[in-house]
Amino acid sequence: MSRGKRKITEHDLHAYTDGALTGAAREAVEAELAIDPTAADEVEIWRRQNEALRALYGHVTDEPVPPRLSVQRADRELRASSWHWSRMAAAAVILLALGVAGGWFGRDLASTAPTEATLVAEAVEAHRVYAVEVRHPVEVWADERDHLQTWLSKRLDRTISVPDLRDYGLTLVGGRLLPASNGPAAQFMYEDETGRRVTLYITPSRSEGETAFRYARLERLDAFFWSDEGISCAMVGDLPRDRLREITARAYEQLV
Amino acid sequence: MPQILDEIEECVPALRRYARALTHNPDLADDLVQDCLERAIRKRALWRPSGSVRSWMFRILLNVYRNDLRRRRRAPDLPLDTLQTDPPSLDTQSGRLALAETAQAMQALPVEQREVLLLVAVEEMSYAEAAEVLAIPLGTLMSRLGRARATLRRMTETGAPRLRSVK
Repeated sequence: MSRGKRKITEHDLHAYTDGALTGAAREAVEAELAIDPTAADEVEIWRRQNEALRALYGHVTDEPVPPRLSVQRADRELRASSWHWSRMAAAAVILLALGVAGGWFGRDLASTAPTEATLVAEAVEAHRVYAVEVRHPVEVWADERDHLQTWLSKRLDRTISVPDLRDYGLTLVGGRLLPASNGPAAQFMYEDETGRRVTLYITPSRSEGETAFRYARLERLDAFFWSDEGISCAMVGDLPRDRLREITARAYEQLV
Repeated sequence: MPQILDEIEECVPALRRYARALTHNPDLADDLVQDCLERAIRKRALWRPSGSVRSWMFRILLNVYRNDLRRRRRAPDLPLDTLQTDPPSLDTQSGRLALAETAQAMQALPVEQREVLLLVAVEEMSYAEAAEVLAIPLGTLMSRLGRARATLRRMTETGAPRLRSVK
């Protein structure tokens, strides 16, 4: 719609509808609505939409909260059944003390390098399968980081150092070994403070050269992928693209 | 009980309302809230109190919800959006509004628009808080809100020719 010559914007009309304007700003919109029946109509429709939505859903807060949603109970159960969060916090401290492992590459690979499309598809698939898991997202948790690193390095036949992404608000959850189209793959999972997850997927490759970061979007997930000496990697997540790119760059610096 | 747990507990009724409105499925909605509470309790040691507990809880709930949507897209036989919401009684003021029609339209609304509209209209969050919860810039929030209202209007307008159309 066009608000043409006037200084009242659509933003103002929404804010007016939602009761976010006071004083002069509110009066300015009211004056505008008095002379613009089209805008007045629209605001009236929006107001009715708000009313209808509150009528539809507002009553939920009047219902008694079911016992399974008791915070105290959930806290008790988690304390009893899980020690991961405290162990993970301790592991995070250990991570600080560890340096980045030096480079070590190259052995003959029986496998062939996966095409980039396969790499991204497999990485996205693995993300979709495991990032939604609440209780079993990884095989080896972050509190066994050394073991995780040794084990996956051995299985991929590459020295893999687990990147530390805490500067970007991501703590390591852990990792797992996965079957890929041409052999084993490793997946490391990270989580931000809201539980949003990012996974780093790594497969061995025969390629010795580096490639630039490339970007793909698949199934509503973003992925940055690249090849380094002897490995192909993809960082997958549902994050703003720029943030994911920074995270990828940080991981790239620390890998191998 | 530590203070943060109290604050989390205070959010539960609103989280249930939001989850119910997003999914239109009471059981699924409570499952999502339960997941959300577990994540919040596990993560509370890492939480930096730079914003409100409410915003944080809603962000977690949205992550849980989106993960669930992704899982469902892989297994489309799982029922989604089964309308089990008891239609609330109409008061006289909003009696003219076809609530059932609005409910139906909400289910058809693109997820991104639904998320925004419900935070603003039902949770009555400020635009700034809603943008924080959704981790999007304010401008994006406003354009999604505009689209949500326009889409909802279009979908509920058929059969209401008394309303003029606005270009």
